[in-house]
Amino acid sequence: MEFLASMAIGVGIFVILASSFNLIIGHGGLMSIAHPIFFALGGYGSALLARDLGLGVPPAILLGALVAGAASVALSLPALRVSGDYLVIASIGFQLGLLQIIKNLDWTGGAGGLANIRPLFATYTIDTKLAYVAVVGVLAVATVLAVRGLVAGPYGRAITAMRDDEEAFRSLGRNATAIKVTLFAIGSMFAGLAGALYAHYYLYLSPEQFEILYSAAMLTMVVVGGVRTTWGPALGALLLQVLPQAINFLKLPTALTGPLQGIIFTGLVLFFLFTRPQGLLGTRWSPPARPEDDDDAPPAGDIMPPKTGVP
Amino acid sequence: MLDPVILIQVLWTSVASASFQVLFTIAFALVLKVTGIWNFTQPALMGVAFYAMYVAVNWFALPLLLAVLAALAASAVLSAGIERIAFRALRRRAEEPITYFIFTLIFAQFVVFVLTLLFTPEPLYLLADMVPQIWLVGGVVVTSWDLIAIVLSAGMTAALWHWLRATRQGQFMIAVADNADLAEIYGIDKERSFLAAMLLAALFTTAGTYLFATKLALFPELPLHVMLFAVAATILGGIGSVFGAAAAAVAISVLQQFSVLVIASRWQPLVVFAILFIAIILFPNGVRWRGRQRIADGRHSEDGGAAAASSVTTQD
Amino acid sequence: MTTALEVRGLTKRFGGIVVAESIAARFEAGRIVGLIGPNGAGKSSFFNLVTGVVPADAGAVLINGTDATRLPMHARARLGVARTWQHVRLFASLTVLENLMIAPRRYHAETPLALVAPGRHETERRLRERAMAQLEKVRMVDFAQRRPGELSFGKQRLISLARALMNDGNVLLLDEPMAGVEGPAYEAIKALVRAEAAGGRAVCIVEHNISFVRDLCDSALFMFQGRILRAGTVSELIASPELTELYFGT
Repeated sequence: MEFLASMAIGVGIFVILASSFNLIIGHGGLMSIAHPIFFALGGYGSALLARDLGLGVPPAILLGALVAGAASVALSLPALRVSGDYLVIASIGFQLGLLQIIKNLDWTGGAGGLANIRPLFATYTIDTKLAYVAVVGVLAVATVLAVRGLVAGPYGRAITAMRDDEEAFRSLGRNATAIKVTLFAIGSMFAGLAGALYAHYYLYLSPEQFEILYSAAMLTMVVVGGVRTTWGPALGALLLQVLPQAINFLKLPTALTGPLQGIIFTGLVLFFLFTRPQGLLGTRWSPPARPEDDDDAPPAGDIMPPKTGVP
Repeated sequence: MLDPVILIQVLWTSVASASFQVLFTIAFALVLKVTGIWNFTQPALMGVAFYAMYVAVNWFALPLLLAVLAALAASAVLSAGIERIAFRALRRRAEEPITYFIFTLIFAQFVVFVLTLLFTPEPLYLLADMVPQIWLVGGVVVTSWDLIAIVLSAGMTAALWHWLRATRQGQFMIAVADNADLAEIYGIDKERSFLAAMLLAALFTTAGTYLFATKLALFPELPLHVMLFAVAATILGGIGSVFGAAAAAVAISVLQQFSVLVIASRWQPLVVFAILFIAIILFPNGVRWRGRQRIADGRHSEDGGAAAASSVTTQD
Repeated sequence: MTTALEVRGLTKRFGGIVVAESIAARFEAGRIVGLIGPNGAGKSSFFNLVTGVVPADAGAVLINGTDATRLPMHARARLGVARTWQHVRLFASLTVLENLMIAPRRYHAETPLALVAPGRHETERRLRERAMAQLEKVRMVDFAQRRPGELSFGKQRLISLARALMNDGNVLLLDEPMAGVEGPAYEAIKALVRAEAAGGRAVCIVEHNISFVRDLCDSALFMFQGRILRAGTVSELIASPELTELYFGT
């Protein structure tokens, strides 16, 4: 029962991470591997605010999320001013650099990690654990629905057009950079929320939990589940919690389970990328039928596949 | 602290250590220039090259030269495979840049996991005994490794420079880098140039790995971190300028080594990140020197020129 | 006569290629100017420089008197510059109607706040009506719910014209609007462009279809290798033997 509660919380946190990552890379078309660092900033931020400023845990969690969102602007704004390519580079630097800083500062606990984080509930009984599952569950569903709400309607129309042809989009008077920075901030804020929820349950954070390899995990959840689908990332999150458990059942030596899990989930992404790029829940785009008689064929490059998935 | 001998020592050591960074940077920058792809699979090449050398030397007791050749073969096959199988498939599907990004990053991570499974995450040294010969030149320590590193990297850089300017294949590669579709119209096989660029990347990465491995230990995740340097140098040197990137690699290395004189060593790895950020904010188009303009008809250009491309534009 | 668009000393080089060399021109409201010249003359590049797709090396771009030289693309569009593209560039994932709804000078949903703004349904409704009105002008109302990819190239051009007209500013740059357009649509576009000019827009048209240019344009600019060689009426330019040779000879 305990074990299931822990796993449910893990799934919930992954769902928030995957959904928000989908917003950034799937809908926003932004290349970034820095999602783990915003997860970390939310966790560390919330834990430290609760510890050093004596804040109650719920407001600390919210503030932790806001800290992550605000920090993302420091990354996205200068990078996107130049071009989308720069964001991926800057995100690598940001991810590795900030992690290095966390490892070397005393007040974050350094490489040894931050312990004795204040829990959300004062005691750890089965009831409070289930309550935590409920909290995480509600927030996970809220995240998925929030992302869906953002990309529907007139705002979503703008996001889709921006992804289809950014230059044409800008020429109409639309501020594409502002939209991207906003999407990045919202996505990173949710990552921070996930981090805070993680911190106040497990009560211990260490820098190695936020390495780049988790970017690969999040990419897996999004790609396998289905880019730009509503529930695809959630499905991917579920798979990524369940699969490693399945491997644990094989009772292999621990030195092998880690890399083996990694090989399976990166292998899954590669497999899907080349055989089923729309993921498990997405629909495949097929070229439109041309009912018109067409002597005047368009120049090459005019017809691009739409970049939408299934809601 | 202002002892000139120490300064010269740091300068010498940093230039020598820049050697493998220069080679990795050239590999990365060349693929970016020619194919337009940010090739984050390069760490996989470095990993494969290292462990191929390691296996050849430590499991099969082969001499180092054969080990390096084995590594070259392995990385070349991998690089060619990535280009011909993966990149080509993505090109056929006219994929968005983000798909290339996802693929290259995940592929590199995949290889890291495979290598971790096979070789454990422990740092490994290529050779049991890697102590080089040491000389004292005017108070400055000079090792045989330093000399090999500088000669090898300078030599390969010069050879590439010459190859790009003076050979037909090299000129084709420049034309494809400039405008692949236009080059095709002129009968140049762009996919062949893409493959050539990827093979050259394997060559330069293997050479850099050899230098790295004869000085330092390696574990499977390390190439991902080493890679960042090449990326920073590519941006600082100006995307599209392979040799500008190489120069930037030397500059960053020197800066990083000199920083030890002013900051605590635990912050030293951050110097590269800091430079990367500064590069993006202040020099998004690379550090440009005036006077690199090409003449209108394409003569005397910095890279040998896409003379064919300059007289006709697709732009109206 | 207001000068809606003015460029002074506009210069741009790519590597060794001179894309624009000290271009100076004025575009008055109500006037239709043709931009002609051989391939590679820099005509589309001129549009790119004016709209900010490409930053100029030197010179100035003034939109209704405002110096727009350092402004980003979206700011220039909001000052009133609308354009169409040689390669059409409609948004493939959106319907025809949505393509237009995303195109007004000010869009009400550029931030997520729009999702909770009061009166947002009313704003959307009015936007939809405006978009339908533009589609009416190019007689594409029947195709409102289709995807651009399903339609013929000629129809896409008409839709992209309607999309440009969603911008209610006074500068209209048309890049080869007649390519692939035939029959009744041809006359309809001519009439439409005349009407827009009469309504106060400064129009500049890049076209290879010389009879179209002669019918429609009050004057024309002849471009060659990034320079404006001559300005005048279309008849004058056509009558010049040197220009004809440059146009067809290269």
